[in-house]
Amino acid sequence: MRMLRIPCLLLLATSLLTACTEVRPWQRGNFARVEMQWQSDPLESALNDHIFFSKEASSGGNSAAGGGCGCN
Amino acid sequence: MTIKQRAQTLAALTIAAVAANFAISAFAVEEGEMAPDFSLPSIYADRAAVSLSALQGRTVYVDFWASWCAPCLLSLPLYNEMYHKYKDQGLEIVAISVDNPIEDGLDFLLDTPLDFLIPADPDGDIAELFQVFGMPTSYLIEPDGTVSLVHVGFRKGDIEIIEEAIQKSLAAH
Repeated sequence: MRMLRIPCLLLLATSLLTACTEVRPWQRGNFARVEMQWQSDPLESALNDHIFFSKEASSGGNSAAGGGCGCN
Repeated sequence: MTIKQRAQTLAALTIAAVAANFAISAFAVEEGEMAPDFSLPSIYADRAAVSLSALQGRTVYVDFWASWCAPCLLSLPLYNEMYHKYKDQGLEIVAISVDNPIEDGLDFLLDTPLDFLIPADPDGDIAELFQVFGMPTSYLIEPDGTVSLVHVGFRKGDIEIIEEAIQKSLAAH
């Protein structure tokens, strides 16, 4: 039984792989939907940033450049 | 068959199935090959279906687009200009919408009317047949059915490359 454990585990692992499928280029429409974005409402996220800035006296660091040095 | 052999056979079959799943994309339509024939209903309910074989003898520019694809929306008005410029010389443009639902494509067409053929492929069957590997992808098909240009993506200067290839094809036939 012990000898069968590894092949059985491998089999289980590979059968799970069949759930992996490639999203084809023409199927990417769903990714472009508003509900799929990190920030679904740009106005709300700008407002949140502004509140964060006024409370913490630091800005940036939540996306790309800027480390919250308060120098801008 | 022992349990071990059975397990091995099953494992091999599973691996083969997974490999086949990822290997399909190796059969994309390339330059120099014959374009596969297709027939699709028009995106407009009141217009005739579009089939590639019915356009044989003309230079056909086939483009796959969707309303969610920003470069596609940049390219389509330029294709419309090109269509008016060359249609009398034998150019036909077929812009296949892969929008699902097709109403998304129709919404875009309300604001941007296009005069060439626009079939709808909401299930992506023909995109699958061509093995489209980016959005947008377009194919220049010669009057004899061979593909002479495959163009993936669209940037501003690309229309010149495409126009040059179309002029070359129209001059040769």
